[in-house]
Amino acid sequence: MIAFIAAYVFIFVWGWLLNGVFLKDVYAQTPNLWRSQSEMMSLFHWIIIGQALVIFAFVMIYACGFAGGGVIAGIRLGILLEIAAIGMRLGFYAVQPFPGKLIVYGSVSGLIEMIIVGAIAGAIYKPASARTP
Amino acid sequence: MAVFIFLFVFGFLWYGTLMRGAHEEVQALFRTKPDFPWLILGHIVMAFFFTMLCVRFVPAGGIGASATLGILVGLVYAGPHLISFAVQPLTTKILCGWIVGAVIQFAIAGATVGAIYKPSSPATSGH
Repeated sequence: MIAFIAAYVFIFVWGWLLNGVFLKDVYAQTPNLWRSQSEMMSLFHWIIIGQALVIFAFVMIYACGFAGGGVIAGIRLGILLEIAAIGMRLGFYAVQPFPGKLIVYGSVSGLIEMIIVGAIAGAIYKPASARTP
Repeated sequence: MAVFIFLFVFGFLWYGTLMRGAHEEVQALFRTKPDFPWLILGHIVMAFFFTMLCVRFVPAGGIGASATLGILVGLVYAGPHLISFAVQPLTTKILCGWIVGAVIQFAIAGATVGAIYKPSSPATSGH
């Protein structure tokens, strides 16, 4: 639970900094692809639920198959998941007219994000056997 | 290779055929024709690294455990779909189709890896 909360707080702040601040100008180049600011705010709960789902599933995968490996195992999981996600992002680029720049920035930041999420999960999550004295 | 073929065929059937009508409701969000080289490259990357993940997650192999991983991976990728729904003018029909599609697609892809992948047996000592 603590691993989930810590990773969630990180992903929320990272997502806001990246998409809400640094990439604001890139998004502004394709206004027809995005909802208006007021619409986005009214649907903000979906962003919170979406991020929570990512972290929940990530921590579950770590707990079921990588726990005990510590930070390195968490980072490995983050890298594998994110490179597969980059493949998915390329698939979206093939069917949606996103600027290429957005895919590149999104992929690089996604990789950094998942490495840090993996490190957080690996550092905090302890398997049940390790918790008992 | 099997996972790549499955992901590609499933994607064509689910997203390209079954959901075509839903995508046409918001035509402005999509290219008129998919950019196939990127689509194929994306599927190769996805298939290769998902298979690597299965092998690491379930070193002993097995359909059930690999399918479970596939469901969890599908949920990891369903999260960004929810975020996309909040920031792009997608319909709820598209959102539901993408989420259900991702979970089914990766569950079957996981089961495929579990069924095909055979871990190499430990080296036998030469008596």
